[in-house]
Amino acid sequence: MMMSTENQTFAEKLDLFGCIQCGRCTGGCPVTVRTNLNVRRFVYDAKNEEMLEELSKLAEIWDCTACHTCAVRCPKGLKPLEVLFGLRTLVVESGKTQPTVRDALESVFREGNPWEKPRATRYDWMEGLEVKIADPEQPVENLFFVCCTIAYDPRVQIVAKNLVKILNQAGVDYGFIGENESCCGSEVFALGEEGLFEMTVEDNTEFLNEFQARQLVTLSPHCFTTFRTRYPDLNKPVLHYTQLLDQLLQEGKISWNQDLPKKIVFHDPCYLGKQSLVFDEPRRLLKSIQGVELLEFDRSRERSLCCEGGGGKMWVESESKAQRLAETRIKDAKEMGAEIVAVACPFCVLTLEDAMKALGYEEEMRVAEITELLGELLA
Amino acid sequence: MKTFVCIKYVPDTSEAEVKVNPDGTSVDSSRFSFDINDADNYAVEESVLIKEAHGGSVTIVSIGPKESEVMIRMALAKGADNAVRVEDSRIAAYDPLMVARTLAGVIKGQEFDLVLTGCMASDDGQMATGVALAELLGVSHAAMVKKLEILDGKVKAHRELEGGLMEVVELSLPAVITIQTGINEPRYAPIRGIREAQKKELKVVNLDDLGIAADQVDVSASKIVLEKLYIPEVVSKAEIIEGEPDEKAEKLASILVKGGLV
Repeated sequence: MMMSTENQTFAEKLDLFGCIQCGRCTGGCPVTVRTNLNVRRFVYDAKNEEMLEELSKLAEIWDCTACHTCAVRCPKGLKPLEVLFGLRTLVVESGKTQPTVRDALESVFREGNPWEKPRATRYDWMEGLEVKIADPEQPVENLFFVCCTIAYDPRVQIVAKNLVKILNQAGVDYGFIGENESCCGSEVFALGEEGLFEMTVEDNTEFLNEFQARQLVTLSPHCFTTFRTRYPDLNKPVLHYTQLLDQLLQEGKISWNQDLPKKIVFHDPCYLGKQSLVFDEPRRLLKSIQGVELLEFDRSRERSLCCEGGGGKMWVESESKAQRLAETRIKDAKEMGAEIVAVACPFCVLTLEDAMKALGYEEEMRVAEITELLGELLA
Repeated sequence: MKTFVCIKYVPDTSEAEVKVNPDGTSVDSSRFSFDINDADNYAVEESVLIKEAHGGSVTIVSIGPKESEVMIRMALAKGADNAVRVEDSRIAAYDPLMVARTLAGVIKGQEFDLVLTGCMASDDGQMATGVALAELLGVSHAAMVKKLEILDGKVKAHRELEGGLMEVVELSLPAVITIQTGINEPRYAPIRGIREAQKKELKVVNLDDLGIAADQVDVSASKIVLEKLYIPEVVSKAEIIEGEPDEKAEKLASILVKGGLV
């Protein structure tokens, strides 16, 4: 089988011959403690074009959570995880993918979101709020991009709602996109649907470039990293909302009316931290709250433990019955006495909160997105 | 094996509130997403599996608006060969017989071994189109089929009956089969496949092109009058049974017996 693009072979496209088989990828891969995934082996075997089809049938290719630890650690600057995405492409393009993956991808194609929700209800979360909608004809400082998960999932809609309240109070010049916003394609890319991802990048670039905005501000680290690294023709810089709020804080434009005397530990989302190197802004936001005692995980910043919410894993269940990494994370937090696990990613909220409930810690601790805490202090 | 598959473009009403328009006979569909009717999706997959195993061709037939071409292109990407879309506002599409007459107008006169369609439409709940189509084409049919075996000049159809029973029937070809969900696992239509499928023929026709007289399929031809659509009123009635456990059991048993439930 040949899997080549523009006359490049699979190995050439991913620069697999650059691999020196040092093993730093496998050595850092967080899912190896609970699955058989051995990414070094895949990099080695995938040099052989004839093996690709056989490799694509292995269940482990769906275990990768796209945390990018392997890419961060690779001394040759390779992205070992993309071998797995390439193998997923073979499966997806044969049409014989898991029904959950099929439904998510079809939903992105038809409705612009992977959650099988109608496009027309994307902005129902705005009901009852004073939200400014951006007009492509009018210049605006900050154009906000709300991720699909935050727009539709009732658990994390609070992120967008509270952000609107903060922006209104700070008098920030902003605009949200409205109903025509479409998925950034982060999970489409990880699930290996190359054609759909290319189409998504083309359509979104054209659509977003029409807005006369100084910068694009994203609510999810997944959109943030995807726009930043995989949209070469986007005509404006991209920020994560924690970066904007941190600026506003430094400029004295926002402040909190109440104290929060709690021990809080911040969980670095992979797409915000190791993939986009935003580590300090969310911490500064948390420290700006009177009374907060900020704790640190042993595995923090570049070494943060993945929650397993990325890499399309929202639609692919691992076969492993071993303890989920999110449970490991919550246990670590409890052991250090954290009362709140603060995160800045919708997927991390969902996976860590599930883990906390599964462990029965609901009475003692809480998982909260940073905007949830900030919104409560505004009142 | 030459197969026709009849598919319908339907709204997904599970994610948005259903509102009846002021005319009282139509539904506000502005907030719905539209997709292939669930059972029809399985019919498309079954036709492609048959083609992969036995050769032949698959033609998609649908009555619907321009927007439904996305659904048709996805079916072509999965392996169908060509498609016919009928667009004509004169068709009384709420009446399965009028729909069947239109579909028969597309298929009649062409060679075919099988016509597959979903056993039920998820929007109006009708289950008559496929069976009516068989009658109009003058061929035998099997409805609610959960397993289909292709034999020499025949098919063996496993029909799902009430109470979990399966009936196995043999039909000589040509035949119409209405497909029940779960017969297979519909595949994904990758975007590169959909782009590739742009090259396949998708013919758009109206009643005149098909040689169907409008008064055979329009409101005047239909025996069904759509009087009114309404959202069922929500009522609740609960009776709390009081007493000791044995008294409660006795009362409950008598209610169930009186109601003919046991």
